[in-house]
Amino acid sequence: MTTAAPAATKRNRAAGLLGRHPVGMILAAPYAVYLAVIFAYPFGFSVWMSFHDYFFAAPGAVVDHPFVGLDNYKAALTDPAVGQAFKNIVIFLVINVPLTTGLALVLAVALNRVVHARTFLRVSFYVPYVTASVAVVGVWLFLFNSGGLVNSLLGPLAPDPSWLVNEGWAMPVIAFFVTWKQLGFFILLYLAALQNVPNALYEQASVDGANGWQKFWSVTVPAVRSSTALVVILALITGANLFTEPYLLTGGGGPNGASASPVLIMYQRGIQQGEPDFAAALGVILVLGTLVVAYINRRFIEGRD
Amino acid sequence: MKRTLPAALLALSLAVVAGCDGSGGGGDADQANAATGPITIWLSNNQEELAWGKAMVESWNGQHADQKITAQEIPAGKSSEEVIGAAITAGNAPCLIWNTAPAAIPQFQKQGGLVALDSFDGGAQYIADRTGDTAEQYKSPDGKFYQLPWKSNPVRIIYNKDIFAKAGLDPEKPALATYDEFLTAARKIKSSGAAQAAIYPAPSSEFFQSWFDFYPLFAAETDGNQLVKDNKAQFNTPQGQAVAGFWKTLYDEGLAPKEMYNGDSFADKKAAMAIVGPWAIKVYGDKVKWGTVPVPTSTGKPADQIKTFSDAKNVAMYSACQNRATAWEVIKFATSQEQDGKLLDATGQMPLRKDLQTAYPDYFSKNAAYTPFAEQAARTVEVPNVPNSVAIWQAFRDAYSESVIFGKTPVADAFTGAAEKVDQLASGS
Amino acid sequence: MRRWPNVVRYFLLFLGALIFLFPFYYMLIGSLQSSPDTSVKGAFPTSGLTLDNYKDINERVDLLGSLVNSGIFTGGVLLGTVVFGTVAGYALARLQWRGRGVLFALVLLVQVIPFQLLLIPLYVLIVRGYGLADNYLGMILPFAINTTAVFVFRQFFLQLPDDLFAAARLDGAGEVRILWSVALPLVRPALLTAVLLTFIGPWNEFLWPFLVTKDADLQPLAVSLANYISNVSARAANPFGAILAGACVLAAPAVALFIAFQRQFISSDIGSGVKG
Repeated sequence: MTTAAPAATKRNRAAGLLGRHPVGMILAAPYAVYLAVIFAYPFGFSVWMSFHDYFFAAPGAVVDHPFVGLDNYKAALTDPAVGQAFKNIVIFLVINVPLTTGLALVLAVALNRVVHARTFLRVSFYVPYVTASVAVVGVWLFLFNSGGLVNSLLGPLAPDPSWLVNEGWAMPVIAFFVTWKQLGFFILLYLAALQNVPNALYEQASVDGANGWQKFWSVTVPAVRSSTALVVILALITGANLFTEPYLLTGGGGPNGASASPVLIMYQRGIQQGEPDFAAALGVILVLGTLVVAYINRRFIEGRD
Repeated sequence: MKRTLPAALLALSLAVVAGCDGSGGGGDADQANAATGPITIWLSNNQEELAWGKAMVESWNGQHADQKITAQEIPAGKSSEEVIGAAITAGNAPCLIWNTAPAAIPQFQKQGGLVALDSFDGGAQYIADRTGDTAEQYKSPDGKFYQLPWKSNPVRIIYNKDIFAKAGLDPEKPALATYDEFLTAARKIKSSGAAQAAIYPAPSSEFFQSWFDFYPLFAAETDGNQLVKDNKAQFNTPQGQAVAGFWKTLYDEGLAPKEMYNGDSFADKKAAMAIVGPWAIKVYGDKVKWGTVPVPTSTGKPADQIKTFSDAKNVAMYSACQNRATAWEVIKFATSQEQDGKLLDATGQMPLRKDLQTAYPDYFSKNAAYTPFAEQAARTVEVPNVPNSVAIWQAFRDAYSESVIFGKTPVADAFTGAAEKVDQLASGS
Repeated sequence: MRRWPNVVRYFLLFLGALIFLFPFYYMLIGSLQSSPDTSVKGAFPTSGLTLDNYKDINERVDLLGSLVNSGIFTGGVLLGTVVFGTVAGYALARLQWRGRGVLFALVLLVQVIPFQLLLIPLYVLIVRGYGLADNYLGMILPFAINTTAVFVFRQFFLQLPDDLFAAARLDGAGEVRILWSVALPLVRPALLTAVLLTFIGPWNEFLWPFLVTKDADLQPLAVSLANYISNVSARAANPFGAILAGACVLAAPAVALFIAFQRQFISSDIGSGVKG
């Protein structure tokens, strides 16, 4: 640094202060402002709330919100319903994330090389994603209830109690539902990524005598690795924030809490039962947990280069 | 310097919000109580109620050009309490909401979102004169009325006469007064294949579901106890456990399904019976040939002594209201004998008036089907008006779901655990 | 030699497609039935189909008005995301500047935060702080720049080969020019992915627009139909059919738009002929 010419030093200093491309700051500014205004404040507020005895009051009301330290966190962590919800979400993720990632990649590769009925095939896989949960949940209830079509087809093989009221099956059914619902989006992500895989790599592999599977493993999978990281992380995040499905599909986390999710409990406690401090603590725990898992995954998938 | 940009933005946005926090406030309450002018009200979006509400608003507006009402709809279902809670916090709640659930009152009151109706001249007197002794149940722990008891939907057992006939039961005078009679009938329905379920209450775990299975029978069994009395849970008692045992038998023997039904099991003839309020008469009308009986008790108490859950919806005034004098006049206008009659006519729901049957003799002679519900309306039990009301119902529902519906733990254990939790919640901690 | 795997591939893809589509077929059939039929035969009815369930919705919901509101709400979000999200994604992926790490950490954080946690503070902020109740802007604001889309943009800009940018910079092109004429055309498929992703959110969002608008004239389709489904349908002649009909009405515009848009998507990724 000391050996550089004066002009270069100046540029370097500017670069040190603003970065090499200060224009990036301008480009990112609207988004940064948006985040600060729309997310940072409410989130900061929620964190603050989680350390206080807090409830939402009308503008004129005079209420006391004493600092309570970690009490809300203690309450959240010792609540058996919360423990159950976290257990449920682990079951969900263990089924949903690998299934989503694997199916999405395989289907994307298959769809990418399809020549006939291209639109029909792609649209069929995307349609669930485009449709609101509110809309499709009704059909799933209809399909999976004890007298529903799935059980009529299975006959004596149908589980008893039926799927959504069976403590062992409720969460897996939700995991399959979410996989079905979200898969189209992840296929789309992979399809877009596949467009950027150089054909030369496949040609080289063919020259080397690789068959279809070998090409898939040695060319496609490594080439879309950064997309895989994205897919895994997004699937993880949507999974961790699971709410609509237990809310609608199993009537508020039934049977007997076997399909409750942390966000569902947050909603019940914070918004229905007027304990936003407890809900905020639970929310912060969930956010931290998700960040840790997401970080480990990122390291694991992206960081092997 | 640029490094601090995000931090500066954060500080700025915090400051903006803090500023707004400070400047809020409802103004001087006395002044607001005397003020008149235009007001906003929310009506439930139930079709018939909405029609009544719109007509009521129109007739008020015709007489009060300078104090017009603007009416908006909110959903009658699950999410309405969330909407109201958020509106209270933001200070944009309307003056009046014509469908406030009594279970939500303690929370809204704690939020500082409600105006005590006693603060108006003759307010408490008006409520007492209109509703009679039943009004006591709607008083808050501080002795004030934060809600005007408006209308109830006292629940009874409704049964499908065709299914009963098919099962070999008497469709005109079925024996359903005691638990044993009820269970015998239920078993017959199931074994004869007349219907898939004898009765089909929602087995899901939303806090309010107990109002339509456990609570009416509990009210009947205990001659009118609320779930919580003097800050103590009342369900962990022999009576409470008898009611739970009755439902448990229904679930254990598959007479009541453990699975959510998406739709109306009674209308779809999946269930032979249901627990309903008078609204059902319009809904099932000619679709089903039905009859009603009071909810059962273990010993088969005489029908005219049986109490039940009221399923009331009330009117509350919200503290964001500026023109409270007008709002109070509107409450009185809309709960006058004339408007109550129109409500009854339009919806079949029972105005919470003490002289219901004598006030509207024409209606009840023309609509005989409503008479049993009107009689029942005199003997109703409300949800307890205690702190943490919703949390209490959720704690109870969880225990009920675990033990009665799914049989994972013995009822006694689950109820004991829930009772401890409820005692704690009810005492306000 | 290649034919047999091809046949298998098509067979499996079609099978998968049928499994994926079946619930929709069932939804449509259910919405046309006058009474629900859960038997296997009921899935392939030969008679007894009616449009009554749709008539009932049409009587209770202002479909056209709600559709326009949905369009404004969704359009606003799309505009915000495409305009500000792409440039932010580009800045995060390809440019070195102070605060980039902080902003990216925020992007991750925001995605991880469940919306239910922010719901009421955000509501208070927008309604009390900015006075935007019963206003399209208030509806749009929390979704205005979709963070997942920013994340996707960043990811795709990252995947572009470094040489491309080095070459453009050597030619003396400014960063904004590189974004506009080099990077953006190459990530067209990603752009469309992000548009789709962004579209779904506001189109199907129920809770927020419902909290912010009490004026029924401003409510988007998802709100009107969710209200219909949860409160009104039980009173219809066939409640279950009415729910499914509501679901079909909500799904139809999204699916139709998507099919139209899908053609665009295919032609663009063939047409752009990305090499690498």
